Amino acid sequence: MSNADVALTAHLMRRAGFGTTLTELEEYVKKGYENVVEDLVDIERCPPIDEDVVDRYFGASEGGYRTTWMYRMLNSPRPLEEKMALFWHHVFATGVGKNQHILASSMQIDMLRGVGLSNMREILLALSKDPAMIFWLDNNENRKGEPNENYGRELLELFSMGVGNYSEDDIKDCSRAFTGWTFTQPPPLYPQGYYPAHFAFIEEEHDNGEKTFLGNTGNLNGDDIIDIIVKQPACAEFISRHLYNFFVADEPQVPSWSVTPPQDPDAIDTLSNAFLDSDGDIRHILRTLFNSDFFKEARFKKVKSPTELVTGILKLVGTYQKPELGMAKYPGATTLMGQELLNPPTVEGWHTGREWIDGGTLTERINFSVGELSDASKPGIGQIISRLKSNGSALSPDEFVDRCLELVGPLDVGETTRESLSRFAASQGDLNIGADDAAEENNARVVRMLQLIVSSREYQFA
Amino acid sequence: MGRPYGLLRAGFPFFKTVGMRRHTNFPVDVALGKENRLYILCRNGDASMVRKYTVDEDNLGEIGGVATWGVAIITDNEENLYISDEAKHCIASFNADGESLGTWGEHGDGDGQLNAPAGIAFDAEENIYVADALNHRVQKFTKDGTFISKWGSHGDGEGEFDMPWGITVDELGDVYVVDWRNDRVQKFNSEGEFIFAFGKSGCEDGELNRPTDVAVDEHGDIYVADCGNDRVQLFNSESRYVEKFLGDATLSETAIDYMMTNAGPNRMRDMANLEPQKLFRRPISVTINGDGLLFVADNCSYRVQVYKKHAIPLTEQEFGPPRRSPTLHQE
Amino acid sequence: MAVSQKDPVLVVVELKGGNDFMNTIIPYTEGVYYDSRPVVGLKEEEVLPLNDTLAWNPNFEPLKDMYDQGEVAIVQGIGYPDSSRSHFRAMDVWHTCEPIEIGTEGWVGRVIRELDPNGENVLTGVSFGKGLPRALALSGVPATSIDNLDTYGLMTDIEADPQRLQALEIFKEMYSPAIGTGVVMDYLSQTGLDVIKGSDALKKAPAMYTSEVEYEENPIAKSLRDVARVHLADLGTRVFYTQHGGYDHHANEVPSHPKLLAELSGAIRDFFKDLRDHDASDEVVMLVFSEFGRRIRDNASGTDHGTGGGAFIIGDHVQGGLYAEYPSLDPARWANGEDLEHTIDFRGIYGTVLEQWMGLDPTPVVDGTFEQIHPFADR
Repeated sequence: MSNADVALTAHLMRRAGFGTTLTELEEYVKKGYENVVEDLVDIERCPPIDEDVVDRYFGASEGGYRTTWMYRMLNSPRPLEEKMALFWHHVFATGVGKNQHILASSMQIDMLRGVGLSNMREILLALSKDPAMIFWLDNNENRKGEPNENYGRELLELFSMGVGNYSEDDIKDCSRAFTGWTFTQPPPLYPQGYYPAHFAFIEEEHDNGEKTFLGNTGNLNGDDIIDIIVKQPACAEFISRHLYNFFVADEPQVPSWSVTPPQDPDAIDTLSNAFLDSDGDIRHILRTLFNSDFFKEARFKKVKSPTELVTGILKLVGTYQKPELGMAKYPGATTLMGQELLNPPTVEGWHTGREWIDGGTLTERINFSVGELSDASKPGIGQIISRLKSNGSALSPDEFVDRCLELVGPLDVGETTRESLSRFAASQGDLNIGADDAAEENNARVVRMLQLIVSSREYQFA
Repeated sequence: MGRPYGLLRAGFPFFKTVGMRRHTNFPVDVALGKENRLYILCRNGDASMVRKYTVDEDNLGEIGGVATWGVAIITDNEENLYISDEAKHCIASFNADGESLGTWGEHGDGDGQLNAPAGIAFDAEENIYVADALNHRVQKFTKDGTFISKWGSHGDGEGEFDMPWGITVDELGDVYVVDWRNDRVQKFNSEGEFIFAFGKSGCEDGELNRPTDVAVDEHGDIYVADCGNDRVQLFNSESRYVEKFLGDATLSETAIDYMMTNAGPNRMRDMANLEPQKLFRRPISVTINGDGLLFVADNCSYRVQVYKKHAIPLTEQEFGPPRRSPTLHQE
Repeated sequence: MAVSQKDPVLVVVELKGGNDFMNTIIPYTEGVYYDSRPVVGLKEEEVLPLNDTLAWNPNFEPLKDMYDQGEVAIVQGIGYPDSSRSHFRAMDVWHTCEPIEIGTEGWVGRVIRELDPNGENVLTGVSFGKGLPRALALSGVPATSIDNLDTYGLMTDIEADPQRLQALEIFKEMYSPAIGTGVVMDYLSQTGLDVIKGSDALKKAPAMYTSEVEYEENPIAKSLRDVARVHLADLGTRVFYTQHGGYDHHANEVPSHPKLLAELSGAIRDFFKDLRDHDASDEVVMLVFSEFGRRIRDNASGTDHGTGGGAFIIGDHVQGGLYAEYPSLDPARWANGEDLEHTIDFRGIYGTVLEQWMGLDPTPVVDGTFEQIHPFADR
């Protein structure tokens, strides 16, 4: 296996998944890139996560929904399923802060996991029937004769097409088409805890009058609206740009898309065509994306989201491969870095790219990463140490740096970082990794080198 | 007192509901004390606590920090509490006031070592049986943790286990183990010799879906928390299916007090369908006392549902002879 | 403008969970209080009378003493229309001054931007506790969040001192800007080096601090001691933010609420004594608030989320007394049929402090003009 294969596969797994352990990476490389893409996209080729075990150990707790999701990210044999749930969560940003109903918000994630790799029509339909979304954008208040346009507007502006591709009248009639799309009243939180709400269509609250939407006239219902939306080239382009922004390279923030063209229009064309050719089949679009040159050439062109950073570090140190105490603190870590899962700040979702970073969140990222890498007995660090040993009994400072960068990523770093790390390595001379009597000291040196690498600017990129 | 020759099952009505959210968050097991005292083990995230109530719901306070991932709680004759912790691989003990009496157990697969201990049960001599889940075996200890014996290994044959969970000992000293991932219950004598097994995967009567706990009463009746099917099933002492409980909860006294000062939730409750509010959600443990009260930890509904058995023992004269075949004719 | 020579400083203390104002400042002569609170109500003989109708919770005595010295303004009935009973939503409203839409810009963030428009001092706004509260969050405005002042900074898990210093040196080298690496890389460099600058400055604070005051051992005392240490180090911090948790007393209110009040008031007393001993109290005003008050009737163990609450403005320049109106206890006037009605909008209280103390125009910060009170003696 060539170094380039390893680098490319690691890139794929950072983007389409949540990183890998060293062992997993080697297995993926053996399979070959195209095969791995097929395994990722065609999820039935891999078994689902062991739901029994998830349920037994993380089954019930009030903070548990985020924890369980993060555990799935780390351990699902179908990582793209989880990554797409996260992708759609970025796009269809729904905050638990408003509904205060963690079960409804968590069930929305389950819904996104379930339909995330299907096609755009099915996805928008499931979204429009999701109680957390209905409450978030007030569609439960959207009635015949007294329409509430919140959902109708955002469905077009933020969830499917982007501004400039429809008129205010389209919004009005789109909203009328979704009148009566609401949910059943769940019992209150007290005294028996959260109960699910279920989608309900209330015929008496639905406006059966004639509507015109994007040139189509008739007694349109919500599903008719969605049928029309998914045929629009604007929808293909908008979703393609979202996919590009999430999987390939950072684009400007979503609200500016109507005025700022994409950085790689050809790539968006390729994805849009894949969308239109397949009637919005997400698997087909993603297969196209992962096999494209623009994807393969996009290593480290994206700032990691807090979720990607935390899961990536946990994969690197190899912990939580089965249910263990302490998993619950990791959703808290992403929150401190600016991404509270299930609670994006507004319907626009999180601002991504460089906007993930400020003084506070950078401090959190670095301190978190350094903290997780401080214990040489963690399985992932142990593996790195044993790989270093396989290189011979002594490593020169430059070899030490190079090998560590390879094992952590492989991570590409700039001259400044490379030289700083080398100076650090040189300050302590050759690493006599084979010397068993110096194991403790050597382990400490490796740990420190890894801590510095994950503190680097370059490591903030996926 | 031996087991009755037969049983006239008059009924098994719902008795009452105990607890509510915030008082009994995610109850996982119930242990019994004297004078109707209940010790309800509650596990939320990485922390477990014990809520102390009477059956009449007098609040006797709580004991915090009894475990990380607490699974089961039992009481000894002095009403000291023993709690299994499947994350810390140990059994912790406390007196009823919450003072620690020590902890034993260490992680591993050697004799006396534990890997994710789940169910625990005392025998008449106050030895403790532990369902050693990830070692797929049962171990027997003195109550201060000295290893006595063990049996079982990973598998689905007789006497083999796949992540056992609940465990109980009947008054004759026989041991019942919930073989969680094999969807069955196995019965052994105190030496670990296999007696019988019952249950298979499914949701029909008598079938099980990831059962979590078992209890046996003085008549030999066997109660199984059929958690994955959201129900409790009752089997007779020969493991024949008798009936099932789906949940019939009412509002507990604590819950009524709460609702009386909360106008908004009263309205929401009124708008909602009441039917699902009665049903079990993840009934995770079963405990039965000498008065025939059956306590079910209704894990995801933050409460304990209590049923009361009404059964009259029958003598040989009162209970016709056994039959091999069904009959249409009543003599 | 502030009369003191030094720039005015604001210390915000957030009581998390919804402080039971009715059990803090108690309407001890009203029968309805005792009728509504058979379990959590205080007895008439335990309370410390403030006037003919109101009394202090006995555990708040240190604050009562400061009030008697004329240093505490009690803001009664603080709230906002259609108050949210959700902690998160309610706290968001207080943090963003945005009660209807979901806001993302923190009001303290806007204050920092006003005070330090070019973001020259990363310590202009400092929060103590884990993570940055939304009140301080504003894109492009630096604010510093300190979990532990004694170990603040980067790579805090590296324990041995020379090793940590070496790691930080390497960090600085790795983050030094290089030509041609791109805007995001440059931005990361700048941000990383700013963090180092801030933590280097903060390191001075514990080193130069000495005090006669012995704070008690509890979280709010620790936080206010940290505020004092940073304030006394004279690092240019103008707004301090800190939180005191645990006020959500749905159950077991009787033992726990008094304990929190005792911790809070003791810490405030010690904090101001500490500043006074260092001749550094003149420029400081403290605002204490909570996201809502609690239900009038108890639930036989505690009290559930309510609406109207209370706030406190404390400092040398404060004209002590009662401000705004205590919400009516007449059941006919209960909000939602069960809550204390708010009598003054919290945005007017932010405005009061910003305009009359900090010398800022509050309108853009709180997004509107709201009725103010006049609790400062010399303004």
